[in-house]
Amino acid sequence: MIEEFFNVKLPVDEHLILKRNRFLTPLQELNGKRISIITGIHGDEIEGQYVCYLLAKWLNENPDKIKGIIDIYPSMNPMGIDSITRGFPFYNVDINRTFPGKTSEFLPGQVANAIVEAIKGSDYAIDIHSSNIFLRELPQVRISKSNAKELVPLAQKMGIDFIWVHDAVTVLESTFSHTMNTLGTKTLVVEMGVGMRITKEYGENLTEGILNLMAQLDIIDRPLSLSKPSFVSTINAEVHFINSPCSGVFIPTLEHNVTVAQGEKLGDIIDPLLGEIKATLLSPCDGLLFTIREYPVVYEGSLIARILEDTKEEKA
Amino acid sequence: MREEILFEITSLSREPMRVKAFKFGKKDATPSCVIVGPMTGDAIDQLWIASRMVRFLRQKELENPSFILGEIVVVPTANTYSFNMGKSFWPLDNTDIDVMFPGYEKGETTQRIAARLFEKTNNFDFAILLEARKDHAECKPYVSLLANGAEDVDDARAFGLDFIHIKDESPIDTVSINYNWKIWNAKSFSIISGKKGELRKNDANKVFDAIVRFLSKHKIIDFPIFEGSIGNVVTYDNIEIIKSSAAGLFDTLVHVGDRVVHGQPLARIYNTLDGTLMQTIIAPFEGIISCAYDYPLIFQNAIAFRIIRLEDTQLP
Repeated sequence: MIEEFFNVKLPVDEHLILKRNRFLTPLQELNGKRISIITGIHGDEIEGQYVCYLLAKWLNENPDKIKGIIDIYPSMNPMGIDSITRGFPFYNVDINRTFPGKTSEFLPGQVANAIVEAIKGSDYAIDIHSSNIFLRELPQVRISKSNAKELVPLAQKMGIDFIWVHDAVTVLESTFSHTMNTLGTKTLVVEMGVGMRITKEYGENLTEGILNLMAQLDIIDRPLSLSKPSFVSTINAEVHFINSPCSGVFIPTLEHNVTVAQGEKLGDIIDPLLGEIKATLLSPCDGLLFTIREYPVVYEGSLIARILEDTKEEKA
Repeated sequence: MREEILFEITSLSREPMRVKAFKFGKKDATPSCVIVGPMTGDAIDQLWIASRMVRFLRQKELENPSFILGEIVVVPTANTYSFNMGKSFWPLDNTDIDVMFPGYEKGETTQRIAARLFEKTNNFDFAILLEARKDHAECKPYVSLLANGAEDVDDARAFGLDFIHIKDESPIDTVSINYNWKIWNAKSFSIISGKKGELRKNDANKVFDAIVRFLSKHKIIDFPIFEGSIGNVVTYDNIEIIKSSAAGLFDTLVHVGDRVVHGQPLARIYNTLDGTLMQTIIAPFEGIISCAYDYPLIFQNAIAFRIIRLEDTQLP
């Protein structure tokens, strides 16, 4: 059932409309649980489109298996998605820094508010991102430390490759996930793949993970498939950031989603004019290379890679 | 005057970005004041004000070295790259430097810019940031104080601008330079004025005069001045938002800074295709237009005007 939850007139003969597709079981069988799958807050992140398609296809084909309410929100920044624009076009604002928004604010804040009002009351939400155009990410769920106790077990039900428990940062209080978790909707943020692209394998795996999660939450009736255990960052497993020491062009040596040894070469920063290698980047630890730079041009400081260090117990 | 390169950021193909400071008076003399120009590449008014300030201080110091009583440092901009290509935010990844403070020297490029700028500007008695509004609005020049600096309102009155806005802090404010200056004990102020991408010399010159007045009243320079306004304090409670109910061509009938009366037409909105008059926006009460939407096409529910209610402002 397609439902509009935000509609505003644009200057020239068009409306900006936000829609969701609601799947629900006949009322007498409803168990009361509701999950929202949302994506497209950043218009240059497309991986979630495929996941929404696969989920909606499964739900269309299996209406008798639905035991709760499943809302799919594929496009929270329609003009951004249609124009490869990360933020809200015209205003040049990141919607994911304007939550919870207000009806009295400028348009991006109104959109954020409408998203919150539509999803409020869901028991669970999954917000699917695709990193950005600069980085390729192993599928991962990101959870702030303050929510780890509640959300890590939920994320583990999805069998996703990696769960990153990170420090809470004040600025992230203006994100969708923080707002929804504050309002009582258990919200997971998924990052995977790279901006402007779809990685079919990741989309298929995440879809399977979400179906598995919904089955375990009794929202759909479906046999559980075996899910692989996730890597989880803990206090014993540090995430290392490798930033470029200089400007240039990054030529990777390794693909991501591989384990690396301390001192192993990640890639070079080269100078095309001089024909020289300006820097060689090495892994600072043994661990899992879960992020690698996709867009080659770098400044000093540009993020090249992230590595989840093997836990100290494993090393011992 | 001493001209100094505070730091550089190198690039693959361009000249390095040099962030320059112009220093006046004796190092570590008190009282001290740092003036930082825009971090977005479309704040032309602010670049004009900062460069005029350098010129003024240089000329006056040459005429009379004892004109400078304390120490003044002007950093006209920390984002020359964006000015040179007509962009607002950092050219490669579109990030806003002014949401990266206090910065991180080992982080992403804009985090490093923030860290270096902050290190060079965080130990002054007074700190002034020149800003354009980030939304689509033109505004009457005003001093903006975050709520964590509300006790500095008497110091802010030294600018002599008509309005001092005490702004409630949101999570995003905690990563601004102004907030972090304050945390490190500077009396910090933002002066917001003008319209992005344009030079409005009248308003820019008012801001210029206000800074000269501020420097003189705080005995940082020895220079005669005219008294300015008494400085009305306003908060969100005093500012009424007037929104468009239609979308289309936006024809403004009033100017920023105008005093308007109840019932006065403020703007008309016409259908963009057939010219039908869709809405006449009427002033709902008497007040001063502090901000107006600055683009000839308008969305439905956009913030068309902000009006400061006449009866609500706080006099000293």
